[in-house]
Amino acid sequence: MKSIIIGQYIPGKGLFYRLDPRTKIIAVLLIMISVFLLETIEQLLIGLATAIVLLLIGKISILKVIKGLKPIMILLIFTFIFQIILNREGETIVSQQMYFTGYTLLLLILAFIVWRILNKLVKYRFTLFFLFAAGVFLILSYVDFGPKIAEPFTFNIYRAGLEMSFFVVVRLLIIITLSTVLTLTTKPTDLTQGLEKLMHPMKKIGFDSESFALIISISLRYIPTIFDEANKIMLAQASRGADFSEGKLKDKLRQVISLLVPMFIIAFMRSEELANAMESRNFVPGEKRTRINELYFSHRDIIATIFSFLILALAIVLKVM
Amino acid sequence: MGIRFNEVSYGYSSFAQGLYTAIKDINLEITEKNEFIALVGHTGSGKSTLAKHMNALIFPTSGTLEIFGHTITNKRNKKIKYNDIRKKVGLVFQFPEYQLFEETVEKDIMFGPMNFKITKEEAKKLAKQSLNLVGLDDSYLSRNPYNLSGGEKKRVSIAGILAMDPDILVLDEPTSGLDPAGKRILMDLFKNINETTGKTIVIITHDMDLVYQYFNRVLVMNDGHLVFDGKTEVLFQKEDLTDYHLDYPNTIKVLKYLNQELNLNMNVFQKTNAEALAEIKRAVRL
Ligand SMILES: Nc1ncnc2c1ncn2[C@@H]1O[C@H](COP(=O)(O)OP(=O)(O)OP(=O)(O)O)[C@@H](O)[C@H]1O
Ligand SMILES: [Mg+2]
Repeated sequence: MKSIIIGQYIPGKGLFYRLDPRTKIIAVLLIMISVFLLETIEQLLIGLATAIVLLLIGKISILKVIKGLKPIMILLIFTFIFQIILNREGETIVSQQMYFTGYTLLLLILAFIVWRILNKLVKYRFTLFFLFAAGVFLILSYVDFGPKIAEPFTFNIYRAGLEMSFFVVVRLLIIITLSTVLTLTTKPTDLTQGLEKLMHPMKKIGFDSESFALIISISLRYIPTIFDEANKIMLAQASRGADFSEGKLKDKLRQVISLLVPMFIIAFMRSEELANAMESRNFVPGEKRTRINELYFSHRDIIATIFSFLILALAIVLKVM
Repeated sequence: MGIRFNEVSYGYSSFAQGLYTAIKDINLEITEKNEFIALVGHTGSGKSTLAKHMNALIFPTSGTLEIFGHTITNKRNKKIKYNDIRKKVGLVFQFPEYQLFEETVEKDIMFGPMNFKITKEEAKKLAKQSLNLVGLDDSYLSRNPYNLSGGEKKRVSIAGILAMDPDILVLDEPTSGLDPAGKRILMDLFKNINETTGKTIVIITHDMDLVYQYFNRVLVMNDGHLVFDGKTEVLFQKEDLTDYHLDYPNTIKVLKYLNQELNLNMNVFQKTNAEALAEIKRAVRL
C-alpha cells in the first residue's frame, strides 16, 4: 500500500514546488488536452520526451515516478494486449497458425506451474510474466501434434493494432506522469485551494466551489488514514485468530466482515468527530474564509502558463496541418 | 519456552518519511509461566510495537523471535500456523474500536474462541464468564458494542481475549480511560488470573503507582531501546528516572518530599498508602 505514489505529496524543493497550484492545474490540463490532440506516434514520443524533460527540470526522481507507476503497469499491459488482439485494421504484420491439442494443454499447464513456482523464487516478476506469455505463444504456435482439441486458428497482429496499442499506452503514460507531477509537488491543501479559486467563477451558476474543494481536500486527507485504520483492524482481528492468509474460504468470509464493519463504523465516527472539531473551531459552511497563505502569481507562473499554452497551440497546429 | 527476542529491530516504512525504526536491538526473555510484567516507557517509545511482536502480528525487520518454539523471522513461514501462536499469546489492543464488529457484545466476545474451533455453546459460556470477569454483568451480553462507553468497550475487548484462554496475556494499556475503581478491579483480576492459573501476563501502562504495587518485573522502553529489565524495586531506587522519561510512584514522591521538607529520615519505598502512612506515623512519633 505504501508504494502507491499517485496522489501523494512528497516535500521537496524543485521548480514545480514553487509554482502556484492554479498554474500547475491549468498547465496540466492544457498539456493533457494537447496530448489528446496528437495523432502520430512520433508526436507522442516527443510528448513523452517533453514529460521526461519536465521531470528533470523539476528535479523529480524519475525512478520514484516509475516505481509509482507499478500498480498501473497491469492496467497498461492489459490495454496493450487488448488493443493488439481486438484491433483488426491495416495490413497484417504477424500471422501465425495456432494449434490446440492435448499436448498443448499439458504443456500450458506445465508452463503455468513453472511460472507460479518461479514467481515465488525470483524477483523480476514482470520479466517472468513476459517470459511466460512468450512461452504460451510458442507452445500455441509450434505444438501441432497430438490429439486435436480445437480447430487450428490463425493469430494475426495488424499494423494498426500494434500502432494503436502503443499509442494508447504512451498516451496513458504521459497523462499519468503529468498528474503524478501535479500531486507529487502540490500539498493537498494547496491543490484544493487552487481548484477552489479556479472554480470560483462557477458560483454564478450556483456551483459551490468552496464546499466542493473542502470535500476533495478532506477525502484526500483521509485516504492514508483509512489505510492505516484498515491495517490496525486487520491486526486486531488477526490477534483473535482471524489471520487473513490462513483458514478456509468459509472462514474468510467472516474475516472480511470482521474487517469491513469496524472500517465503516470508524469512518463514520471519524467524520462525526471531524465535523464536531470543525464546528468547535467555528467553521461555518459558506462563510467567507481567510487563508494563512494567500496564493499569488509570480513571473514563474506566467512563464509556465505561457509555455503550456504554447504546447497546446503547437498541438492544434499539428492537428490542423 | 515462552517468548524470546534475539536482537529484534522493527522499522515502519512509509513512502513520504522512509524508514522509521521503532524498536532497536531488543533482547528479552519472557517465560511462559508465573510472570507478571509491566512494560513502561514514554509515549512513542515502542511499547505497542514490541507487544505486537509477542504474538507474531508483525515480524521483526531484523533479528529473530522465538514464540513457543516457533522461530519468527522477517518473512512469513508457510510451515508456521500463526493462528496457533495467537491462540497461545493473547494480545489486547490499545484501542478497542479496532476489534469490535459484531452486533452484540456476546457475539463479539465469541468471535475469538470460535476461530479456534470451539462449539457455539461452549463459546457462549466462555463469553458470559469472561464478561463477568472483567466486571460487566449479563445485561451487557445483548448490547451493541458500539453504544458502550469507552471504558466498557475496553472491558469487552479484554473479555474477547480472555475468552480465548491464551497461555500468555499481553495487554496494551488495559487501564487507560478507566475510572480509579475500575482500574483496581481490572488489575486485581489480572493479578488473580496470574496467581491462580500461573499464566504469564504482560501489561503496558503509564501508571507508576500500579507498576509499583502490582508488578515484580518491569521492562522500560526508551526511544526504541529496552533500557531496563529487572525488579520494580530496583528501578525506583534509582536516583534519577528522567533519563528514562519516567516518574516515581506517588508514595515515593510524597515521602521524599516530606523527608526533604521536614528533615526526616523515612524509608521512602512504601508501596501502598497504608504502608506510607505507617512509615510517616513511625517517623513523627520518634
Ligand atoms: N503504523 C505506523 N507507521 C509509522 N510509524 C509508526 C506506526 N506505528 C507507530 N509508529 C511510530 O513508532 C514509534 C513507536 O510507536 P508505538 O506505538 O510502539 O509507541 P508506544 O510506546 O506504544 O506509545 P504510546 O504510549 O503512545 O502507546 C512511534 O514513534 C510511532 O510514531
Ligand atoms: Mg502504544
